[in-house]
Amino acid sequence: MNLLRAILLLIFFITPIKANTIYNIIKIPNLEIYEINTKNKLKYFYATSPFRLGVQKNIVCSNPDKKDLDIKYKTIYKSLSIYSYDYLKKINLKYIVMCEDLSISGLYTAGIPDNIMKTLILDIKFNEDYFERVIHHEVFHIAYLQHKEIFNDEEWIKFNNPKFEYAECSTCTKKIGLKKYDKTEGFFTEYSKSTASEDMAEVYSYMIYLKKNKINQIRKLDPILNNKISYIENKIKQIESSFIF
Amino acid sequence: MIKKIKASKSEKIILIFLIILGSIAVGTYIVIKNKCLFVKNHNPKNIHFKKPNNIVVLNATCGNIIIELYPSVSPNGVKRFKTLIESGAYDDVAFHRVIENKLVQAGDLEFGKKGSLNYGKIGTGKSGFGTIKSEVDSHFNFTKGSVGLARSFENDTEDSQFFIILQDEPLFEGEYTPLGKVLYGMKILEKIKYQRQSEYVLRPDFINSLKLHNQ
Repeated sequence: MNLLRAILLLIFFITPIKANTIYNIIKIPNLEIYEINTKNKLKYFYATSPFRLGVQKNIVCSNPDKKDLDIKYKTIYKSLSIYSYDYLKKINLKYIVMCEDLSISGLYTAGIPDNIMKTLILDIKFNEDYFERVIHHEVFHIAYLQHKEIFNDEEWIKFNNPKFEYAECSTCTKKIGLKKYDKTEGFFTEYSKSTASEDMAEVYSYMIYLKKNKINQIRKLDPILNNKISYIENKIKQIESSFIF
Repeated sequence: MIKKIKASKSEKIILIFLIILGSIAVGTYIVIKNKCLFVKNHNPKNIHFKKPNNIVVLNATCGNIIIELYPSVSPNGVKRFKTLIESGAYDDVAFHRVIENKLVQAGDLEFGKKGSLNYGKIGTGKSGFGTIKSEVDSHFNFTKGSVGLARSFENDTEDSQFFIILQDEPLFEGEYTPLGKVLYGMKILEKIKYQRQSEYVLRPDFINSLKLHNQ
């Protein structure tokens, strides 16, 4: 036992500290800079080896393949470059972490937003069909978390049919389909029906992702979505008045 | 009768060799002991500054570090820094957090004073003036020699502690309140005591004085 202690002490005394600026700032290990000189000042990092996060270490993500990363970065960059520095500052988003097979408590997820750490972790291997839209979905979550005083779930719920009920949480439902309904009836996707905040995020993501005329068309056909779209538009403009959908 | 023995040639060579060896040993000891030996010290009186009111002189173990402050970039941060300098608050305060080739940090006025160092709390002390808001919106390149106000994990918690970076830190932009840049004395900063195993320094070096150039 004493020998073990001696060895541990020896290791401690001969191991120099390695100051890691990224870790000091966002508390995620094993990251390296991918790109930091961007117009809207978003800083992009990628995992160089797998990492675990959270008090229970229940957030897990692996290092991506370099080729995949280079391809997906272009999509991520293009999607996020529509946001101005002022808007990103107001929603408190500054760092994008790109990794692979992101999961929380064993459930795979497209992204994990953390407004406190100003960070959005993105799984670059997430379903190709929805990847671009999902980036905006996660951006909304950051805005929602940062401005809880602006978004009101109770107010939102009233837009729906009175008989409709959301699930208790986004992970305690089987309604996880991300494919857009042909006939919307108040919801863009099945996942919209999980919780109010997920519904808001889905509406927001489609408002960014779809062309303006398509959104206008949906507004005319679906009075519930029309109300929801107006709500998101108003709330986002409260955060940043110059924001254009 | 004592017979005088003459040293042979080889004995003379050995003696000379030992003298040279001894001289080298003594010389090396002096060099190693005196970490400031080859460090140039700058006298601010011999330098002409464009904006002398924004110049501060930090005197450390190996000499002067001359810093230019940028009140146009961080008006409140620089104002706080100057207020504390004018009151002599930084004199005899430890460089308590030093990371080799990365940064030096000082300015814990509560737990970092010479004679009353509190190793358990150093780095958490306050100035008594309260915290100020972070000023992180202006464009500022955190290149080697940049000086900034330290803060806790959260924004708007800047007080008296400051850091000087010994390498470029582009990720610091938008995170920390910049105060200014070192004009002279980077070598002196690199000589400040650090420990390889810890960011926090046991028996640290101290700021001898930190004064406004015009003070």
